[in-house]
Amino acid sequence: MKKTYLYWLLLPGLLFLAVFMIIPIVLTIGSTLFKEGSFTFAGYLQFFKDPYFLKILLTTLEVSVASTLLSVLLGFPVAYYISQKAPRRKGVLLALAIFPLLTSPVVRSFSWMVILGRKGLINNALIWLGIVDKPLEILYTPVAMMIGMLHLFLPMMIISLVGVLENIDSDLITAAQSLGASRVKAFRKVVFPLAMPGLIIGGILVFVGSLTAYTTPALLGGKQRVISTFLYQNAMTLNDWFSASVIATIMIAITFVVVGLMNKLSNKLNPKG
Amino acid sequence: MSLLTLDHISVAYDNQLILKDFNLSIEQGQLVSLLGPSGCGKTTTLRLIAGFLVAKDGKFMFGGKDYTRVPVNKRNFGFVFQSYALFPHLSVFENVAFGLRLRKMKEDEVKRRVLRILEVVSLAGFEKRFPRELSGGQRQRVAIARALVIEPDLLLFDEPLSNLDANLRVSMRVEIRRIQQELGITTVYVSHDQEECFSISDRVAIMNQGNIEQLDAPSTIFRYPATEYVARFIGFQNFLHFSERQDTDGEIELTLGSQKFKAIKHQGTSHPDARKGAFRPDDLALTEQENRLTDNVLPGIIKVSTYLGRSYQYAVETEYGEFTVNQEMDTPYLSGQRINLIFPKEKMVLVE
Amino acid sequence: MRNKHIGLGLFSLLVYIFLLGPLLIISATSFEPGTVLKFPPSGFSLQWYQNIFKVELFPQTFKTSIVISLLGNLLALLLGVPAAYALSRFSFRGKDTLNAIFLSPVLIPGIVLGFTMLKYLIVVYHLPIYTGLLIGHTVIMLPFIIRVIGSSLSSFDFAIEEAALSLGAGPLRTFFKVVLPNIRSGIIAAVLIAFLESFNNVDISLFMTGPGISTLPIQMLTYVENYFDPTIAAISMLLMILTAVLMFVIERLMGLSYFTKR
Repeated sequence: MKKTYLYWLLLPGLLFLAVFMIIPIVLTIGSTLFKEGSFTFAGYLQFFKDPYFLKILLTTLEVSVASTLLSVLLGFPVAYYISQKAPRRKGVLLALAIFPLLTSPVVRSFSWMVILGRKGLINNALIWLGIVDKPLEILYTPVAMMIGMLHLFLPMMIISLVGVLENIDSDLITAAQSLGASRVKAFRKVVFPLAMPGLIIGGILVFVGSLTAYTTPALLGGKQRVISTFLYQNAMTLNDWFSASVIATIMIAITFVVVGLMNKLSNKLNPKG
Repeated sequence: MSLLTLDHISVAYDNQLILKDFNLSIEQGQLVSLLGPSGCGKTTTLRLIAGFLVAKDGKFMFGGKDYTRVPVNKRNFGFVFQSYALFPHLSVFENVAFGLRLRKMKEDEVKRRVLRILEVVSLAGFEKRFPRELSGGQRQRVAIARALVIEPDLLLFDEPLSNLDANLRVSMRVEIRRIQQELGITTVYVSHDQEECFSISDRVAIMNQGNIEQLDAPSTIFRYPATEYVARFIGFQNFLHFSERQDTDGEIELTLGSQKFKAIKHQGTSHPDARKGAFRPDDLALTEQENRLTDNVLPGIIKVSTYLGRSYQYAVETEYGEFTVNQEMDTPYLSGQRINLIFPKEKMVLVE
Repeated sequence: MRNKHIGLGLFSLLVYIFLLGPLLIISATSFEPGTVLKFPPSGFSLQWYQNIFKVELFPQTFKTSIVISLLGNLLALLLGVPAAYALSRFSFRGKDTLNAIFLSPVLIPGIVLGFTMLKYLIVVYHLPIYTGLLIGHTVIMLPFIIRVIGSSLSSFDFAIEEAALSLGAGPLRTFFKVVLPNIRSGIIAAVLIAFLESFNNVDISLFMTGPGISTLPIQMLTYVENYFDPTIAAISMLLMILTAVLMFVIERLMGLSYFTKR
């Protein structure tokens, strides 16, 4: 009795996802392996031989790696700071970090256009200060995309780190210090390893997020393409659905490889096994 | 005829049989406890009776009708949970009224019954409170009232007192017994607390690995355990594994190696397959005198002696294993001392 | 010790300025009286707020966004609540796999989802664009519904459900009278989080536009490509107010701990 009941509860959702998500994705991946009716990797070979595509892939990876590393460098101290606060202040600080996350990415990327543009805040300030006499080209460069991505995903890093850091017993640090560890060493030997799971989850979210984001590179990248805008261009502007499918498959593959590797890493590092 | 019969019931969970070929019958108006350690199948049995689990095989008869496939909500059994399981979003009144409202009862009748049952469980005046505003004992009373108010054909308790502190446990169990007898309602009660079960039950079923080892009145179980498992459960620590048993007129003759033993015929020795002599530590005696010729004696050596306050406890090693004896005395025996261990025939219970 | 904390506090302040500064700047520029976005604004005016309603496509796409998010939410609830319930109520073989499947729409790149949906929902299945848009949004809301409701069911004592059954309530009545009222705040929070997720979505909607059908974020993207006046800043301001209100409600309902535990 219980079992059939269970299936009826799960079935509608599963069917829905199967028909509208899983089948389209599987068939899309399948369609890339056949050209004119025969099995072939030609689509992929063609892509990985194409210097234009390789450059796009490289730009995407560079931007993603840079925003991930920066999110760790900026996010860790902030998360540590938040986790040390009393509940009320912690709540406020957390809310301020979560707010941008819930705000439309269009709004957030647009705000950087205002700041980074030729007549934007930064160029105006630099000219007013006399540091430069001609506006710098910041907008529509990989740097602009990287800043946009960092702004987009840094909150994710912060909140996943707060999630682990607030559960670290402060007595542990005191204990490490009482055993003769310096504060830096106590941090490195106690706090850092315990924060690892949060760091890895945050890392996955930021990296995969940057790798696949569309709005930010579309608004801040200008003619600079990344893999997601390239997919859109192929699908909608060039109407080359075969290439778009190949790119989609490559994106899925990269995502799963990254998530898989990070999970493996986290299992290896997690002291609880 | 019994009110409730479990007939060759099997219950599996995740392909593992928890109950196999299980039988139990309960008389109208009795309070029967299922007692045993966790994992013995007592909660499974209770949940099967309630209808939360469905038997894989076998039949569940209730009041002469087949209840095996009757769903929980059609059984009209009251269930009192270990966690009380009060509805957090409803007041005490609404918690108790929940079952009555499902029975489409008129509002003034609902009110009359709820207020009356709250009086029975000594909670008059608490109607407007919410569960979170009550103490553990009060919550349990609400849970009992909620189960009783629907006038259930059977009342089921799943370790209802285990979340309460020791003093409250004692007074609540008196309360449960009082209410049960006042209303004359047939009740199945599950607990792992021996004292709790023995104090409130008409009959107790001692369960082990999905079987009932013994189902009897508490005093009968206490005096005449039927199996070694039950005997150990209620404090028998010493067992003699006899190889032969011969029933004569007034006595039973038993053989252990070259030793002869005797037991008296009574309720606790009557089962012909029972060949293990069981004794509580208080029932054995030690003596320094050589009386090798008498029956029911084994020579031994004192291994360990522990002071218990009122008496000394000795671990005595013999040819047939180690025995535990409590004895009151002024100057204790010493470790290593040779001694004779007496197994009084009038104290011997024979178990399977 | 104090010294270090001051350093850390200062550093955190700078990071917060990085996070929130742009949002404050864009809010300020929305009051610009001129035609060019400027910070600081050269004066104060609400004309760009009025302009939102003059550009017909903004109110129109706003309406589409709201309708799609609400309908999609309803659909996601109908599919997701039973699934979330089954996944937290019962233990069974293959549960982890099912969990992963239900949460997978967050993991798959949005742009890939959007493209494959266009390819199959619209082209192969021949669904109308509006239906495709609705389905796409339902798919991306489903994981949020399941995760948030699942986390509020994880602290639910299922014995109270059994209590209701034993008192004579059938399974459906038990769910609506006993389970639902006790996870109400979790459900509302799930709805709000899913709503924001759908309302702000670009990746799916991007592929599901057609004659007269577009969502607000897509309309904003298109507008930015052509005009650089403060209208978008004004809309941003309104959207941020909406976000802040919804976030406040979510916090009241179940705290913000949902965001920090994964």
